[in-house]
Amino acid sequence: MRLFVNNVWHEITAPWLDESLLWVLREALGLTGCKYGCGQGQCGACTVLVDDEPQRACLLPAQAVAGRRITTIEGLSLNGSLNPVQQAWIDESVPQCGFCQAGQIVAATALLQRTAQPDAAEIDAALEGHLCRCGTQPRVRRAIERAAVMFQRGTSS
Amino acid sequence: MKRRAFLQGAVGLTVTFAAVASGCRAIPVIPKRPAPSAEDALGWLRHHDGKYELFVPRAEMGQQIGIALRRIAAVELGVSADRIRLRAPSSQDIERVKATVGSDSVKDFALPLAQACATLRDALAEGRTEGEIRVVERPLKQLLSMRADATANLLVVRDDLLAIVSGAPLFAADMRLPGMVYGRVLRAPVSPELGSRPVDWNDAAARRVVGFVAVVQEHNLRHANSVGLGILASTPGALDRIEQALSVRWHVDGKFEPREIDDAIDIDRHLAGGDLRHAVRDDDLDATGAWSIDLRFDVPLAAHGGIEPRAALAHFTATPTGRPRLQLFTGTQDLFYVRDVLARTLALDADDVSVQACRLGGGFGARTLALVEVEAALLARAIDRPVKLVWTRAQEFRQGFHRPPSSHRVRARIVEGRIVDWWHALVSSHILFTPAAMPLWIQRLVDIAGDQGVARGAALPYDVPRQRIAFDAVRLPVHGGPWRGLGTAPNAFVVESAIDACAVVAGSDALQFRLAMTKDVRLTAVLRGVADDAGWNAQRSEQPPSGPRRGRGLACGVYKGGSRVAVVADVEVSASGDARVVTLWCAHDCGLVVDPDGVRAQIEGCLVWCVGMVLVEALPLQTSGIAATGFAESPVPRISSLPRIEVRLLSSNATPTGAGESAMTAGAAAIANALFDATGYRASRLPARPEELARSDH
Ligand code: FES
Ligand code: FES
Repeated sequence: MRLFVNNVWHEITAPWLDESLLWVLREALGLTGCKYGCGQGQCGACTVLVDDEPQRACLLPAQAVAGRRITTIEGLSLNGSLNPVQQAWIDESVPQCGFCQAGQIVAATALLQRTAQPDAAEIDAALEGHLCRCGTQPRVRRAIERAAVMFQRGTSS
Repeated sequence: MKRRAFLQGAVGLTVTFAAVASGCRAIPVIPKRPAPSAEDALGWLRHHDGKYELFVPRAEMGQQIGIALRRIAAVELGVSADRIRLRAPSSQDIERVKATVGSDSVKDFALPLAQACATLRDALAEGRTEGEIRVVERPLKQLLSMRADATANLLVVRDDLLAIVSGAPLFAADMRLPGMVYGRVLRAPVSPELGSRPVDWNDAAARRVVGFVAVVQEHNLRHANSVGLGILASTPGALDRIEQALSVRWHVDGKFEPREIDDAIDIDRHLAGGDLRHAVRDDDLDATGAWSIDLRFDVPLAAHGGIEPRAALAHFTATPTGRPRLQLFTGTQDLFYVRDVLARTLALDADDVSVQACRLGGGFGARTLALVEVEAALLARAIDRPVKLVWTRAQEFRQGFHRPPSSHRVRARIVEGRIVDWWHALVSSHILFTPAAMPLWIQRLVDIAGDQGVARGAALPYDVPRQRIAFDAVRLPVHGGPWRGLGTAPNAFVVESAIDACAVVAGSDALQFRLAMTKDVRLTAVLRGVADDAGWNAQRSEQPPSGPRRGRGLACGVYKGGSRVAVVADVEVSASGDARVVTLWCAHDCGLVVDPDGVRAQIEGCLVWCVGMVLVEALPLQTSGIAATGFAESPVPRISSLPRIEVRLLSSNATPTGAGESAMTAGAAAIANALFDATGYRASRLPARPEELARSDH
């Protein structure tokens, strides 16, 4: 099986063939940015992009996404510079413990790719399935608004 | 034990620890809680060639304590903060430090660190790079970092943020070692308080699973009264399939029903049976007159709900003389307690156990015991390979410990607009003397003094002449233990809800009623501050003729005798009883503020917890244990349900006190009081139920 992750092809061999995408990414490939929070599709910590769509890696058999374009949090800043969402996250000092944050950043990136200027309801809807026990949600909102402005500038300049 | 530091190009500390006697497992390891000295703090520092390293002596779990301590070190050493690299210590890098609990990181650690840094700065300035240095403690006012705003205005780059937003490995489960396998300890699906053990299982079926490595039977795989069965696999997903294939049959001693837990703590039953055993205050009350209020409150069992499940990676090597040596990665609030428990359980020298601190994906009191660490170490020893062990979400709920339920009765008598008699009785389960860490007979012994965790937050922040505050704790068949702020959140919710009811009876404004009962200048200041920000004194608009009912509530508190907090909540309640917190304002005074953004973040976090506590959180029970296996059954608040939050920090020169739990004293009651304002329904059982809020209207 071959997986295309962050613009690199990986050959996946036994005993990893029947594993979820989450375990293959984290344990076979060492891309530990996406997290195991529940393994039940209920927390969002494992979120990655599959062909630009946010997906819960804990529920996806790796087989099901063989050959698709997979982007993890490590792949958002590929050329050494952060994407606007990551930068906005730093500017607003969003993370507390940090455990949920990769999933939220990936989801927010997908939101802004889809909707350049999301309103408050659209932000809440996109992040509703992302649990954060530290209570960073107020800052998540601010960071996404800030990133939207940065994206705007980036595309218009 | 050595408490000296030697300058040898590097400032460091070689630490040798006496071996913990092993072989007497009946007596649990008691956590040691020494307050750090300045000499200890010198051992957190290393220096070479103008570069410094600071081993962060506190568990990093989102409170950014490393940032706060680095600010202090930078100011005191007189170097820019980026010259100080933060490092997470192992138990062999630094002297024993106490657990990261109770919001006292800045309070107890800042001063020793400042003294140590001042000493090091002077030694280096004198050109001393060799020999022993000792801390000469200097008066507080000579410490640069202890001056108001000395550290708060310092710009510190938070390099941890960069690591987090780019997905760098920081957590225990992110660690990997060559040859590593994955482990799990299966347990009967009942509370660990009940005796349980595996009876039989389908070994042959498990062996056929791709990735099967081993089944481990080991009597030490015991947590409380639960004896587990270990499984090992070459991939994490195979653990699920092995667990299924094994279909273990369990023997369980006894059973219990959820109703028995309600009955065991029912405050009215306890009061009917006589006095409670412990008291915070025990004044003689006026026994004759009628009570102005007489209210009952019940707060349910609730989970910590940290998003990171407990995880550990354990690995055995050999010492030069051939003794087994354990290295273990984990995210714990109590590095040295974990080390001691591992040494005891595995009969190792404490010297031969190295516990490496990792960042915690949320602590909240859940990481104060040694649970997953023992399981990982035992499996690693059994298979003689590195073992990574991550609890499943279901294990977090079923095998962890939780905020215990509590049951309260509050009576107060008001004369001429002031409370003259106050009587609060509460029964909960143990918190500091958690059953998850001690058997019944030890709990009985220590409980003679009363579990102060249960009582925390029950003291009144007001001048009330006669007070009786009594409490008791009963051992329940489900495990309670430390949870953010211990008893603070439930107790303060009850106290400040009752105070609100008193203000209503007295016909007073909730703010004026409170101000009239305190001479505490700092508490007065946060009350006035939050009232200003929220426009409390402005003319209140009428309820809109249609649409959701609006309400506004206030509460305040003093956390552990230090930080002062006041919160105003605005809520909306729909006709069907769905409640939404629209805005929370908070004014907070924790004395000298070292890291303002970190303090704000902690307050925001507490307030989000309070929204959850009032509106959604409860951990459901079933026969003999916890019913929840996921967040679906044990919810935490989601983004769309969360309010705008406005925090005002009242900075002062008072000694720094905590911020990680302080807002738990006021958030929940402010929200509950706002619900009452909107609907006339006083939330007396949490979480507040929509059917009650819908029915009620004034
Ligand atoms: S780990 Fe995938 S949703 Fe929680
Ligand atoms: S930052 Fe800790 S769970 Fe979100």
